[in-house]
Amino acid sequence: MNKKKLLIALAGNANVGKSVIFNYLTGLHQHIGNWPGKTVERAEGTLHFKGYTIDIIDLPGIYSLSTYSLEELVSRKYIAVERPDIVINVVDASVLERNLFFTLQLMELETPMIIALNQMDIAKKKGIEIDAEKLEELLGVPVIPTVAIKGIGISQLLEKAVQVVEKEPIAKLVKVKYGDEVEERVAKLTKMIEGTQFYYPHRYVAIKLLEGDEEIEREVNRTSPHIVSTAKKLANEVENLHGHSCSTVITSERYEVAGCIAREAQKLVPPIKPTIEERLHTLTTHKALGYPIMAFSLLLIFYSIFTFGDYTSKLLSSFFYEWEPLFLSWFGTEIVGKLIWGGIVEGVIAGITIALPYILPFYVILYFLEDSGYLSRIAFLMDNVMHKIGLHGKAFIPLMLGYGCNVPACLGCRIMETERERLLAAFVTTLVPCAARTVIILGLVGAFMGIQWALMLYILNLLVIFALGRIAFKILPGEPTALIMEMHDYRLPHLKTVLKQTWFRLAEFIKIAFPLIIVGSLAIKLVEVLGLLEPISTALSPVTVTWLGLPAITGITLIFGILRKELTLIMLATLLGTTNFAQVLTPVQMIVFTLVAMFYIPCIATIAALVREFGWKKALSITVFEIVFAISVGGIALRILTVIVG
Amino acid sequence: MERRNLERREVPLTALRNEETGTVTSIKSGRGRGRGRGWGFEKRLMDMGLTPGTRVTVVKSAPFHGPLEILVRGSRLALGRGMAERIFVETEKE
Repeated sequence: MNKKKLLIALAGNANVGKSVIFNYLTGLHQHIGNWPGKTVERAEGTLHFKGYTIDIIDLPGIYSLSTYSLEELVSRKYIAVERPDIVINVVDASVLERNLFFTLQLMELETPMIIALNQMDIAKKKGIEIDAEKLEELLGVPVIPTVAIKGIGISQLLEKAVQVVEKEPIAKLVKVKYGDEVEERVAKLTKMIEGTQFYYPHRYVAIKLLEGDEEIEREVNRTSPHIVSTAKKLANEVENLHGHSCSTVITSERYEVAGCIAREAQKLVPPIKPTIEERLHTLTTHKALGYPIMAFSLLLIFYSIFTFGDYTSKLLSSFFYEWEPLFLSWFGTEIVGKLIWGGIVEGVIAGITIALPYILPFYVILYFLEDSGYLSRIAFLMDNVMHKIGLHGKAFIPLMLGYGCNVPACLGCRIMETERERLLAAFVTTLVPCAARTVIILGLVGAFMGIQWALMLYILNLLVIFALGRIAFKILPGEPTALIMEMHDYRLPHLKTVLKQTWFRLAEFIKIAFPLIIVGSLAIKLVEVLGLLEPISTALSPVTVTWLGLPAITGITLIFGILRKELTLIMLATLLGTTNFAQVLTPVQMIVFTLVAMFYIPCIATIAALVREFGWKKALSITVFEIVFAISVGGIALRILTVIVG
Repeated sequence: MERRNLERREVPLTALRNEETGTVTSIKSGRGRGRGRGWGFEKRLMDMGLTPGTRVTVVKSAPFHGPLEILVRGSRLALGRGMAERIFVETEKE
């Protein structure tokens, strides 16, 4: 019985509806984590079907199986080494040619596979009609037409997958044929490789060596360097014959094959009038109208999240705090009761009142925008601006998320292609004033000095982001990559997939943030209970009083701020004994305090996110830098402002 | 305009007007063969379908020297300007 296990991998381009199919198949039996040692997401799930326990793995959305990105390398190795029983290649019917280019590469890996010809509805709207049977015949791979967002074809897909595994899986697989010059040399190399043991098929290794694939060259070089040198020689011959590099020739020819198959299997009847999706695209990327539309959409989104968040957060916290007297009557108001309530319970409350009211709606909207295709339009519009700090348009997305919460923003930096750009984007993102810092800016400077001052702080913040981003860009080794991004047709997001993605992201947030928030609040409570608040304020006074010109008590609030920055203000009110800050702080002090709060380390949860993405060393460097930077900016501002005012 | 009497010309993709189509002739890679702009850059473009001989239509470009929106092999791509400058195309008409 225990032999009835199957491993299915989903592979395909980005934005082809892969995750929708994954969600249909696995429901809530999913586990989302990272590939060991990599910041590449790994989604797994299980389902039961016809007596089989089927493990499904959703490989990252990629355009090729070369080694351009981590995602591509991970996917290729997974298929070659783990050898799934079958690969379901999800293909976007509306962009058949480009998708088949990937299919051909999968076929070269000689893995058992079937094709889910997805988004048939979108293809139809674009006037593309595909003969699935013809496609099946041309590729030698079973093809099942699907419309995943409506659940059409999913059960047939699964049925076919099992059926293919039970019979001989790769009997009919068609070989991708290149031009004679290439084929000749592939054959020569394949013969040389035949003696060696390798987890990729021989022909595949031969082709990849000719393409100059770095990973495979390295692997082969270990045992048989003469094969690599022969491959180089043969590749040079091809280059001389064609006038293009051998890798170019092979890719072109592969695309040629994909194009031929696509042309044979599809009929094009372009619609006479542009579709609604097409018009929406033109409008949202319009050189004049695109920007106001974007600004309006973003403002609307943030305004609604903040309004909703503020309301719900207050509701939740008052609900939880109603339990305090009861709780303390159980555990007593002695040190134990104080520690448990003030440390652990309050930590949990703090976490919940961020996660549910802010993070949850935030993710729902984010995934909605992403799935619909609008995020890629925003990246298109903002590419130019982001280049000023050495990043391309996609980096605007985490930056924008940062205004909500830095934690998802840091995790969102994964959309950048290289490690360097992820780090750079994350660094810049942590400087963005999140919702909590907005509370301080608006609640202190905005409320007591006027909104124009708050606005000035935001502008200053933007300038700092650009300045520091530029400096970091110059310092970090490596070269920037440019934007190459698909803008898929606008489509209605699949609500269930959006909600599931939200759910798993929220769980991830809780896993990252909660432990540190709880430990942090426990530590601070301990300091308070032990009566160390005063000594610490005094110890910090050279910085807070002498350098920043603030009341000594603010030192503690800034430490508390590491947990949750909006708590800084509440604590400040408690410690100063008033919510009318104008009575106890001068305008200059307000600005200095807000500046420090705005720039010094993102909260503890953000540090946790940084650690997870980049390791302790980099997370710590960013943290230390930002503390020092914030304190310097505060002190300098004090001196400048005093001169101006005084 | 002044281009009218030329039959064939090889220009960077950025020189095409909106809605103009050209055929890719070559991609000039940057310095070195590192992962940055050299091999990786060229390979990426190829993988997205911009191989020599492919027809590319420039739809428009984002304002202030922003990225280009192009149509290639039935898909719509956004392409950074710096990258587009190194893709050379041949135009046929006029």
